[in-house]
Amino acid sequence: MAAVDTVAVPSTATAPAAPSLLRRVLRDRVGAAALAVVLLFLLLALAAPLIAALYGKNPVEHYGQNAPGLLSDGGLPMLPNGGISGDFWFGLEPGLGRDVLTQLLYGIRTSLLIAFASAAVTTTLGVLAGVAIGYLGGIADRLFGFLANVLLAFPTLLLLLALSPVIQSRLVDPGTAEPEWMQFLVLILVFSAFGWIPLALSLRATVRSLRERDFVQSARAQGASRFHVVVHELLPNVRSQLLVHATMAVPTFVASEAALSFLGVGVTEPVPDWGRMIARGSEVFQADPTYMVFPGAALLAFVLAFNLLGDAVRDALDPRAGGR
Amino acid sequence: MLSFALRRTLQAFAVLLAVSAAAFALFYAAPADPARAACGPRCDSGQVAAVRQSMGLDQPLLTQYTDYLVGVVAGRDIGDVDGSVIHCDAPCLGYSYRLHQPVTEALVDHLPVTLSLTAGALAVLLVLGLGTGFVSALRHGGRTDRLLSGFTLVGASVQIYFLGYVAQWALVYSTGLLPLPSYTPPGEDLAAWAGGMLLPWIVLGFVNSAVFARLSRSQLLETMNEEYVRTARGKGLGRLRAHLKYTSRGAAGPLVQLLGLEAGVLLGGAVITETVFGLNGIGRFAAEAVGGQDLPAVVGAVLLAACFVVLFVALADLAVAWLDPRIRLS
Repeated sequence: MAAVDTVAVPSTATAPAAPSLLRRVLRDRVGAAALAVVLLFLLLALAAPLIAALYGKNPVEHYGQNAPGLLSDGGLPMLPNGGISGDFWFGLEPGLGRDVLTQLLYGIRTSLLIAFASAAVTTTLGVLAGVAIGYLGGIADRLFGFLANVLLAFPTLLLLLALSPVIQSRLVDPGTAEPEWMQFLVLILVFSAFGWIPLALSLRATVRSLRERDFVQSARAQGASRFHVVVHELLPNVRSQLLVHATMAVPTFVASEAALSFLGVGVTEPVPDWGRMIARGSEVFQADPTYMVFPGAALLAFVLAFNLLGDAVRDALDPRAGGR
Repeated sequence: MLSFALRRTLQAFAVLLAVSAAAFALFYAAPADPARAACGPRCDSGQVAAVRQSMGLDQPLLTQYTDYLVGVVAGRDIGDVDGSVIHCDAPCLGYSYRLHQPVTEALVDHLPVTLSLTAGALAVLLVLGLGTGFVSALRHGGRTDRLLSGFTLVGASVQIYFLGYVAQWALVYSTGLLPLPSYTPPGEDLAAWAGGMLLPWIVLGFVNSAVFARLSRSQLLETMNEEYVRTARGKGLGRLRAHLKYTSRGAAGPLVQLLGLEAGVLLGGAVITETVFGLNGIGRFAAEAVGGQDLPAVVGAVLLAACFVVLFVALADLAVAWLDPRIRLS
């Protein structure tokens, strides 16, 4: 594993690599641009209520239905390009007549909340499982190999589709409405159930080779406990792998969440969501393409920026990986 | 080679058995009321009771599971909600109370669409992925390489449920360059089949080619610097011929494995692609089963998809072992 060689002097590598990592990412022009876009999205998500207040709209009110002259009888915006105007900068949602800009802004919050939570859970689980199993080896290792084979054989999207209602039937009493946080929890749970395996698999392989290296062997010869070896010798050496995984996991979960909502089992009304906006846009695509372009392009920009950032982080941590 | 094949086959069967047990536990044991989940929202309480009887939910879980497994191997009789008894032929993956049809039959009906979609998309994936990977590796570090890497990254980041509609709008509705995506059995009209599937093939193939392109680039770069390739070039073999003859074979292992996995995953049903282009394949069928709360159909689709993945991953492993003696001997 290439990651082994990047963080030299393992047992003393306690000083954080963060400042130099940031500097190295920023030196790469594409990486700097990607970081800027990611930060912009984060800022927009955090400031969504503020922006909405200044702009004077909210994502739930049916402006098009309440005020005459905005939507035609068929429910399509009267003005060209999806009803873009000085009042509604990104136009109106066909049918319900909600404001597109605020829906988009609040949609970032939905995506990011679920994606960050899932990335945090899967990274933690992946590290714990990968490092422990790689270090212990033996039966634990074989069992895990088999389990990973089984879980990876399952069709992920289909399982996510099918499992959400099953989990909901367990958590929510029939007939009662599902609270908003429960939807988020269910999605985070189903993503977490499978998302940790790839990281655990790759960490297992790294730790397996690290285990035999001199610095680990000498720590053990000095009588270091298993805990010490794992926390102080092994973990610092897989840090770069972790960071890259966590960066790459966020866009994956954002896209998965949008896909589930597109298929109608993710986040439900009235919580603003990009995937559901695209699904609604696809219904009216021929008559009003504008409504779909905004969430679609936003999703593309967001995922692309995160992927580029992940690449830049990997190149910064391991210059050879990019060249190869 | 034979002992490797035997070991690999046994392992595949073990994985399949575990997958079926896990699917059974998740879907038949976990829901609050499996009979209600299997019968769907339109069933009255009498019908739900009939389903409970028919699914054997009063039996211990282990008996239910072994009954299910026996059905897969030998077929079994299943009672419908109206009291009639239907014989479900092996491999019986359960009975859909919503469609009044054995799940296997329904899946077989939808299989040709998914087969066509997968075959064409894999061809596009292979050409695009290998092509960009090979060119990037040859022009490693140059402008072409960076351009292709950017193209690849866009492919890895774009979502089918966006690109599909945009491509459909640009190529079908606005310009009429391609016919509206649809499925015609290839036996009926070969040209209509290929024309109707072309856009889904390109979109699905392009989006999935990104990972393949990246892997083939790094694999080729790695093997290009191996001693035996350098020797071949040192002996005067041209650059392109050396790479085609020696590098490709050395780099093929992980690529074959990825291709096997892709084939297995796609055969299990491309839910989103089929939804976007209105193709009625396995993926669409499964999504509708989830929407219609048709539990047996969902489980059947999940198991079929898992079978495809296990089968094609095992086939890829065998192919790799055949290509590379070091693997089968270890």
